[in-house]
Amino acid sequence: MPQTDAAAVALARGGDSEAFHSLVDRHSRAVYRLAYRMTGSPHDAEDVVQETFLRAYRQLGRFESRANFGTWLHRIAVNCSIDLIRSRPHRETAHDGTDLEQFGAAVERYDTAGASPERLMMSTEVHERIAAAMTGLSAMERAAFMLRHFEGRSINEISQSLGLKTNATKHSIFRAVRKMRIALEPFVAEPAARGSLIADH
Amino acid sequence: MTDLKHFDEDHLVLHFYGELDAGAAAQTETHLASCGDCRASYARLQRVMAAVDTLPDSVLPEGFERVTWARLQPSLQRSSGWRSWFVRVPGSLALASAILILVAGAFFAGRLSRTPERADIVTAGQMRERVLLADLGEHLDRSQMMLVDLVSAEDGGVLDMSAERRRAGDLVTANRLYRQTADESGEVRVSELLDELERLLVDLAASPDTLSSEDMANVRARIDANGLLFKVRVLSTAVRELQKQMRPRAGQSS
Repeated sequence: MPQTDAAAVALARGGDSEAFHSLVDRHSRAVYRLAYRMTGSPHDAEDVVQETFLRAYRQLGRFESRANFGTWLHRIAVNCSIDLIRSRPHRETAHDGTDLEQFGAAVERYDTAGASPERLMMSTEVHERIAAAMTGLSAMERAAFMLRHFEGRSINEISQSLGLKTNATKHSIFRAVRKMRIALEPFVAEPAARGSLIADH
Repeated sequence: MTDLKHFDEDHLVLHFYGELDAGAAAQTETHLASCGDCRASYARLQRVMAAVDTLPDSVLPEGFERVTWARLQPSLQRSSGWRSWFVRVPGSLALASAILILVAGAFFAGRLSRTPERADIVTAGQMRERVLLADLGEHLDRSQMMLVDLVSAEDGGVLDMSAERRRAGDLVTANRLYRQTADESGEVRVSELLDELERLLVDLAASPDTLSSEDMANVRARIDANGLLFKVRVLSTAVRELQKQMRPRAGQSS
């Protein structure tokens, strides 16, 4: 097995499938995690992993050897995830009707009775709440939020990638943040100040 | 925005992500320094974002890389066949969707909804339908044969799986494409069946060269538990029936 990504890429370009196999071994988990965050579906994430490596294999000739293979692959994976999300507009409508109040009620079903801030901040309950909130995001809200929050893409870049107007991208991110805030309200608000973040405004 | 007005959440989100221009960002900082309410709101937003950051990565099963490679390898090697046919023929994905919808109708409703073509000349589209249907039928037949071989394999001692591994690896790519097409077409039940088949194929392709009788029993139990062989057989029969209906009759050119 080649010691470095650069060596593996050089061999894979020459048709060495075992060298490409080593790249899959090194990077497939990271690609899956990214794809899962972007799509919210294990099934779709697996498809994104397959498509990402297929595209990478076909485009190896274009990869600049001085670049970082992981970063390059990461970019391909983001694009594959976006392509998949954009190809399925019907999923968007399924989530867009989600009213924030209904969303709050749904998240409330995750019982947090007796939870104290001290034990909750890093607890599984917080993670369950976040995961529940994630499932309540529409595909575009999820993609826009993930690209902004975890990938550090600017709103302009995200708008271009997702084919949205700037205001629509902002709206998606705002809604996603609002849903996260509703889900995490009991854990992040000062006891005396619970309630809407902007209720007093 | 003046110091007299409070910032709304959206404005604070933009500030948090550094999306405000320099002037607005400086104004916001000044306001936050002097306004307790907004400072509390912003602190709460920061805590929400910090909590989101703690979300752990999804847990992947051991052997994930092995399964990923088993699914990927046939696609890398394949330069012809079903996938390249897809690439060559414009509009073939839509055609495949139409075919799968027909097949799904035949499979689940127990009827063949297609009216036999009465045209004297077979169009290029009809030819493509036939070719694709034949490809799908062949794929299902090969899958069915492999399932039959697995279910009826002689029990006792260690079983050599090298041939089954190769067969499963060969079938994975085409199955994945049909499954994705069914998914795109909204044919949920066909998609679920192909997904079930694909997971078995992937596991077989990634299995070791030999299986113990206990492992083999598990494979058989998995095939039996969901009636996978039966379902594949019924789907295969539906495809063959459709093929018969689409076959040109005497006097028709093809």
